[in-house]
Amino acid sequence: MSENNKLARYAAIFEDIKAGEIMSSNVVEISADKKIAHAKELMKIKKISGMPVVDENKQLIGIISIEDIIHAFEFNKINDPIHRIMSTQVVTIHKDDSLADVVDKFENYKYGRFPVVDDDKRVCGIISKEDILHGILEKFNLIYIHDQKRTSTLNTEYSAITGEKLKIEEAEFHYQIDSSDIDAAGTGAAMLKQFLTGKSFHSDIVRRVGVATYEAETNVVIHSRGQGDIYFFQHEDRFIVRVVDNGIGIEDLDKAMKEGYSTAPDYIRERGFGAGMGIANMKRFADKLVIISEKKVGTQVEMIFYLPTQTWPLI
Amino acid sequence: MIKVRDIVALLEAEVLSGESKLDEEVKSVGASDMISDILALTQPGMMVLTGYTYPQVIRTALVTDLLGLIVVRGKNIAPETIAYARENDFLLLRTRSYLYSSCGKLYATGLRGSDVGK
Ligand SMILES: Nc1ncnc2c1ncn2[C@@H]1O[C@H](COP(=O)(O)OP(=O)(O)OP(=O)(O)O)[C@@H](O)[C@H]1O
Ligand SMILES: [Mg+2]
Repeated sequence: MSENNKLARYAAIFEDIKAGEIMSSNVVEISADKKIAHAKELMKIKKISGMPVVDENKQLIGIISIEDIIHAFEFNKINDPIHRIMSTQVVTIHKDDSLADVVDKFENYKYGRFPVVDDDKRVCGIISKEDILHGILEKFNLIYIHDQKRTSTLNTEYSAITGEKLKIEEAEFHYQIDSSDIDAAGTGAAMLKQFLTGKSFHSDIVRRVGVATYEAETNVVIHSRGQGDIYFFQHEDRFIVRVVDNGIGIEDLDKAMKEGYSTAPDYIRERGFGAGMGIANMKRFADKLVIISEKKVGTQVEMIFYLPTQTWPLI
Repeated sequence: MIKVRDIVALLEAEVLSGESKLDEEVKSVGASDMISDILALTQPGMMVLTGYTYPQVIRTALVTDLLGLIVVRGKNIAPETIAYARENDFLLLRTRSYLYSSCGKLYATGLRGSDVGK
């Protein structure tokens, strides 16, 4: 599936999301009467490659990019006002546009980001492709990406949820799952729970981590036919648990997400597994969950648990 | 308030492990043979009736902070399961009473499941 097709698919599922809900609102804008040199400095400091340009009423009238600035350098116009060189053909998104409209813009124009405006044409934000995915994550606490092609998303050093770096060698807790022993399934989760109890975290979050990790771990043992690992990271206000395996992958993730769906064989069911509730439980007990799976490559479950000191909005 | 001790008496249960818990309060009761159900439906302070006796059930119960397990119908329990429970001082009871009757007896005392508001 191409990047854009994938976005189109998300757009259909999440059509009630509005551009204003997913945009980044700390957008850097600049007045049209400022010097080009000024724009250059600002872009350097903010590490951005383009900026919306506004008039004295803060209304959007253009956009200035790195290319425009290079051009100005070539012709020695760096001290000219911005409005002389900015492009005035700005493609914008309205803050009430639907996610589908936003995705259309990305498909029809090859820009990496678009300014978002309100009814008065004032800039209220900016949207990049990443904002779309993050916006969906924020809103639904959950997303799964079933991607046949992009192996790189599996087991990378970056969190599939927050994009932050997760160095395996820096994990606070690691457990290697022994898939050959069904009776040992869940040992890693029990040990992780013990580890957290020892650090005197609140019993509620420890229990939630324990249960969700247990479900992910037992799935590796029961279904993956591969080897797996549990990694635990603590980042400021949250715990991140990643359970990865190099097994057969989840055949049909859409089905697997449904409560009651299970491919567990009878001898596994006799042992009490196979209610088809495992993934539902992960969803219930984690604050955010991402499952990435690829056939014959493996499965990665990533979960975030927010520490209770902070109050997070319930969605 | 209903204590573990009261349940032991009511179901004429054997205490296989976790004697130290006899005076704890039982807040609610559930019944299931499926691990994920136990994980999903239980709350701390809950006792669960089950016919499931693999050692795995103890690990499940420990992960979800269950108060204790009651094995019904006088089923045979693997020595490993009992040993595992003892290692963790986990409350493990066994009654001859069948699942349905056990549930009925406990319900009659006023104990409810996790689906009924307290
Ligand atoms: N790591 C994995 N590798 C391969 N397939 C998996 C993996 N995890 C889950 N699955 C597939 O997803 C299905 C649903 O998983 P889920 O945990 O929800 O239910 P279950 O494991 O079958 O039953 P339960 O968790 O209630 O004991 C599984 O039956 C299996 O087909
Ligand atoms: Mg499962």
